[in-house]
Formats: sequence, C-alpha cells, structure tokens
Amino acid sequence: MQSQAIVARWLRVLTGIVAIAALSGCASVYVDNHTKEVDSSKFGKTNPPHPVQMLFEFQTKGVANARATEALKKQVLDQVQASQVFTSVGEGPVDGNALLSITLNNVPLTDDAFSKGFVTGLTFGLAGSQVSDGYVCTAKYSGPGQQGSIAKSARHAIHTVIGNGSAPPDATKASDVMEAVKLMTRQIVSNVLHDVTNDVAFK
Amino acid sequence: MADISLSSLRLIASACLCGALVGCASVTLPPPTASGDTVQKLRASNIGSASTGKFSLAPGKPASMDTSLGGLRGSSVSAPNGSYALYLRDVLATELKAAGLYDEKSAVVIDGQLTDSQVDAAISTGTGRLAARFMVSRAGKQVFDKELSVSAEWKSSFVGAVAIPAAINQYSSLYKSLVAKLLDDADFRMAVAK
Repeated sequence: MQSQAIVARWLRVLTGIVAIAALSGCASVYVDNHTKEVDSSKFGKTNPPHPVQMLFEFQTKGVANARATEALKKQVLDQVQASQVFTSVGEGPVDGNALLSITLNNVPLTDDAFSKGFVTGLTFGLAGSQVSDGYVCTAKYSGPGQQGSIAKSARHAIHTVIGNGSAPPDATKASDVMEAVKLMTRQIVSNVLHDVTNDVAFK
Repeated sequence: MADISLSSLRLIASACLCGALVGCASVTLPPPTASGDTVQKLRASNIGSASTGKFSLAPGKPASMDTSLGGLRGSSVSAPNGSYALYLRDVLATELKAAGLYDEKSAVVIDGQLTDSQVDAAISTGTGRLAARFMVSRAGKQVFDKELSVSAEWKSSFVGAVAIPAAINQYSSLYKSLVAKLLDDADFRMAVAK
C-alpha cells in the first residue's frame, strides 16, 4: 500500500510538470505524400451500369472502431457515389447483390509513441517527437451474380510532430487531425477504387 | 476523431500526462453498421429470412448489467436505446438486413438474453467479455437455445486518454464478434436454414 501511495504521489507531481510542458508545445499533423489521390476519370465503369451496396468499416489494429466508422462513413459513401462508377450507392441490398466492402485499418507505425511524447513533455517541447500512423485500406468487390470477390489494398500514413521536431520529408501539413484524416481517407480510397474497377474481373 | 489516429493520440496523451488522472468521458455507442465479411458469409450460406424478437437482460442478473459498465475509470458507455441487450438485437438485425435476410413477418424469430457484459481498462492488460443466450423459434416452436460468449484482451495503458478509448472500442466490437459467432454456429445455421 505504501508503494502505491508513493507511485500515486510521483504521478501527481509528474503530471503537473508534464501538463505545464504540454501547454508550451504544439502538435503538427502531416499527411504522407506517397499515396496520391487518383482522379475518378481513371476508374473503370460498370457495364452494364448497376447499383452497389457499400459497407464501410474503420478498424483500429484490426478491431472494428464504431465511432470512427460513424465519423467517416458518409464521406466514403459520397466519394464512391460521386465517382459515378455505379448508378447508385447505398448501405442496403441492391438488385443483383453487387457488394463493395471497404475497410480502413489504423496501425501504429511507431510503437514507442508514449515514451517519445513523454520526453517532449519533460523538455518543454525542446526535444521534438514524431510518430506515424499507418493506414491499410482494403476494398472487396463482388459484382452482380459473382461468387468470389476482387480484393485490393493500399497503404497510407499520417505523421504527427510534437515540440520542436522538424517536419517529415515528403508530407503535406494539415490544419488539424480531422483535416489530415479526411484527406488521407479520400486519397487511399481513390487508390483502391481505381485498382478494383480496373481489375479484369470487374463488371 | 482523435481515436482515428492511434499513435498521434498516444503521443499527445503522453505529453499531457494529466489525462491519466483527470477527465471522465460519457460515450453513447453509435448505431451499428454491417460488416462486409459477415454479409458475404450470410449470402453464401443457407440461412433463410428471420426477424429479431425479445432481447432483454437474463433473469437473475443485476439490472445495472444492462445499462452501465464498470472498469472504465469513471467513464461510461451507454447504448443508444439505453439497453445493451437491445443494442445486441440491433447489431444482429443490422447484419441480417444488410444481407437481405431480415423479414419482420418471418416465422423464424431470434430472441436473446444478455448474460454477461464487462470491460476493464486496466493499467497493463485490458479485458472485455460479452455473452448472451440466444433462442430461435420457428412458427412458435423452439429450435435453438444456446449461450455464446466472446472475450478480448489488449495491451492497455496507465494513461486514461489512451486506455479508455481503447477499452470502449474493444468493448463495442464485442457485439459484432458475438453476432458473427452466432451466425457461424452450426446449430444456429441449421435452425434458421431455408
């Protein structure tokens, strides 16, 4: 019990120090430039034209993340609809049972994010830290009457810098995390859509 | 949106260590969405149309099990309609509807009783468990009765801003896992076959 009290006191002191440090620093968010948006004019089109049922799921380390799914679902639906690959896009079953399933999995590329941020806080932001989040987007599509599905994947990354760290090379600065995630999502989804719709089995 | 960027959240949270000691969140689970893999499996199966019936807390369980969760360091998660049992029903109905297998007038009715619901955003290893007894009746005659459970373990953190969103995410995903387990169950598939 005594050791627990010591740890608790230590945490309280440290919290105060780090909270002050955190207030003096700031985070910058960058979207990696290696995965660029593919224009929808390069997507294949259904022939004959038909509707599709689209299901989207955001995952965190492979586990379904309902709140993030809710936050991004409409953007992805709108993007697929606007591409005009299909006559209509909705979440319910459609005639012919065409199904497009898109998952976006957030995987940490930097495992020691906690200790990096800890150092930044303790040095009042003088020692900058950078961590990167990886995103793997997988699209599976089965056309009308098709039993198997076409599966395509693409990768992307968002980099976060806290304190006096230098900007990551070949990355675009976003105004905040929200803007970065939306841009990353748009770019990565365009890549899987391009690859799925240009597959020889796509119809 | 913060839980969309895992490492960024960790970095910021650790720089603001105060997250470990202050701040309690109250979160409502979002409406369920269907899973592409589950819908594909349902379509490839011999499962016929069904509807959902009565979903409630199992007899003998504390009423709080259906409405609140401990283990979230003072934070809370509630179901959109105030009942985890009803949320389980909605998750099941969502998957069936997405696969075109939900029919309110079907003679096959799936009922459920929530038998366990827990999560622990512990400092080192987080844990969660969800269990329910599912019953299927066909034209009023019971053809299936089985309790199924799913559980999860994950690396947690002593920083609340990291541990609590992770625990909430893991807990909410258990509903999809439990429904997927039911839909994969061989006896269940036989009970709801066309």
